Amino acid sequence: MFSLFKKEVQSYFYSPLAYVISALFVLIYSLSFIQWITSLTKLNLQFSFAAIFYEQFFYFIFLIPMLTMKTFAEERRANTEVLLMSTPLNVFKIVTGKFLAIGVVFALIMALTFIYPVITLIYGEVRWSGLICGYLGFFLWGMGCVAVGMLVSSFTENQIIAAIFGEAAMLVLWFMDRFNDIEWMKNKPVWSSIIAAVSPKERFEGFATGVFRLSDVVFYILFISVFLCWTMISVEKRRWSRG
Amino acid sequence: MIEIKNLTKQYGQITAVNNISFTANKNEILGFLGPNGAGKSTTMNMIVGYLPPTSGEILIDGMNMNDNPREVKKKIGYLPELPPLYLDMKVIEYLRFVAGIKEVPKAEREHQVARALSRLKITDMKNRVIKNLSKGYRQRVGFAQALIGDPQVLILDEPTVGLDPNQTMEVRNLINMLRKDHTIIFSSHILQEVAAVCDRIVIIDKGEIKAFDTKDKLVGASEDDIVYIIRVKGVCADAEKIIRETEGIKNVMEINFLDEKTAEFKVELESEEISEAIVSAMIQNGFSIAEIKRISMSLEDVFASFTRGKSYSGLASSDNNEFSE
Repeated sequence: MFSLFKKEVQSYFYSPLAYVISALFVLIYSLSFIQWITSLTKLNLQFSFAAIFYEQFFYFIFLIPMLTMKTFAEERRANTEVLLMSTPLNVFKIVTGKFLAIGVVFALIMALTFIYPVITLIYGEVRWSGLICGYLGFFLWGMGCVAVGMLVSSFTENQIIAAIFGEAAMLVLWFMDRFNDIEWMKNKPVWSSIIAAVSPKERFEGFATGVFRLSDVVFYILFISVFLCWTMISVEKRRWSRG
Repeated sequence: MIEIKNLTKQYGQITAVNNISFTANKNEILGFLGPNGAGKSTTMNMIVGYLPPTSGEILIDGMNMNDNPREVKKKIGYLPELPPLYLDMKVIEYLRFVAGIKEVPKAEREHQVARALSRLKITDMKNRVIKNLSKGYRQRVGFAQALIGDPQVLILDEPTVGLDPNQTMEVRNLINMLRKDHTIIFSSHILQEVAAVCDRIVIIDKGEIKAFDTKDKLVGASEDDIVYIIRVKGVCADAEKIIRETEGIKNVMEINFLDEKTAEFKVELESEEISEAIVSAMIQNGFSIAEIKRISMSLEDVFASFTRGKSYSGLASSDNNEFSE
């Protein structure tokens, strides 16, 4: 599995993809950071990194399908799925290996933003607990979206289709909790409580405000597991229904 | 070494492989011969464990794929029809990666990669990025991939497609070299290749096994057939009619129009005497016979007769026959 993991990480850096995505992400993050810095006044000399993350996520969530679109779609198109399936690797190892590889790429991209806390530290003070909390929440939610993106990629052999449907899935994830604000939904307490329970955004709010709750961490881990299992089923199922 | 029992694969309503059984003994090269779409690749994909069979059983070295997929898969090297390559990688990186996912022990990896490179004569290419290689080289990188892990069983799906004649010879020689410690199943639609390399031949068509034997026996079994080549001068369309109307003709196997006035017929007769009847019928109708000789069936003829049924009848009507079977 380590070989597959290594190859996957490498593959992101063979193509310009990982560089482009990290550049875009850092650009958006920097703009956001600058905006916060410039809006500081004498009355309020504080700002929150976690809040930047929260703001950032709306943009970042649309970069994730770019990372995940090729995971299975490309293997299938290039016929390399046969190679993976005819070696001792099983579906569990394939999916996990790919997921961890994207995790590493994601963590690397995230690590690039660490220059801003460092700059802040030079000229001021950083509250580490809130910062770590923000990074953790951002990583967990990001990986949840990665799992969803991988699932979408396993449905198709076309990367572009995988990216488009991935974006659609991300939109649903982002706006899910807004459905509860609709008047019509207010008469349906069961539905709105289900949506509130599974919406990953609401869980992120805790992290963004610097509140670490174990239940939120467990939620994200469960969320990731569910989608990874679904991906495994989808990959396996396709072998059976192929033709 | 490889036992296939009553293997069937259905894609929805379509039966791609229908209840086939055969075995390949240890260190044997089994030729898998069939026209395009006969079910060769489907069968191979099932043997390597990529496609699950609808029913039936595959035993590799006495082990079933479902019971112990990991161990069984370690015994198999597979070269699919389309070599499974990561185009962004360098040749050597790719082979190291394959060695990794095939769980070759770390100490052996470099050795195995180097050996596969030298066997396929691509050591010079090892630092090239695969996407810059020509089709022939890509095919060889794919072949090298199948050799990694030193599998006992090699499944090669049309390994010589896209190679130039020299490369084809090299691959054939390589297969010959590998025969002493590998069991090889090797598919092709090129008859000479199968005849040159394989110990036994499976002829498969429309998902069913039509024949399974050694090359000599396949050809020998049809030695009792009386096949004549008759070259006729005259208006050829009429000549065909006369031949068809002659009694005692089992089958018109082939018609070649050599030029406007000459045609060559390959016919199967019920007995020797019929040939005389044909000659006299021709002469009566004003044709002249340029040549008439009895031939033995070649592997091509055997293949044609198994995959088309013994009803090939001229160019014009051949299509209809293929569909009406």
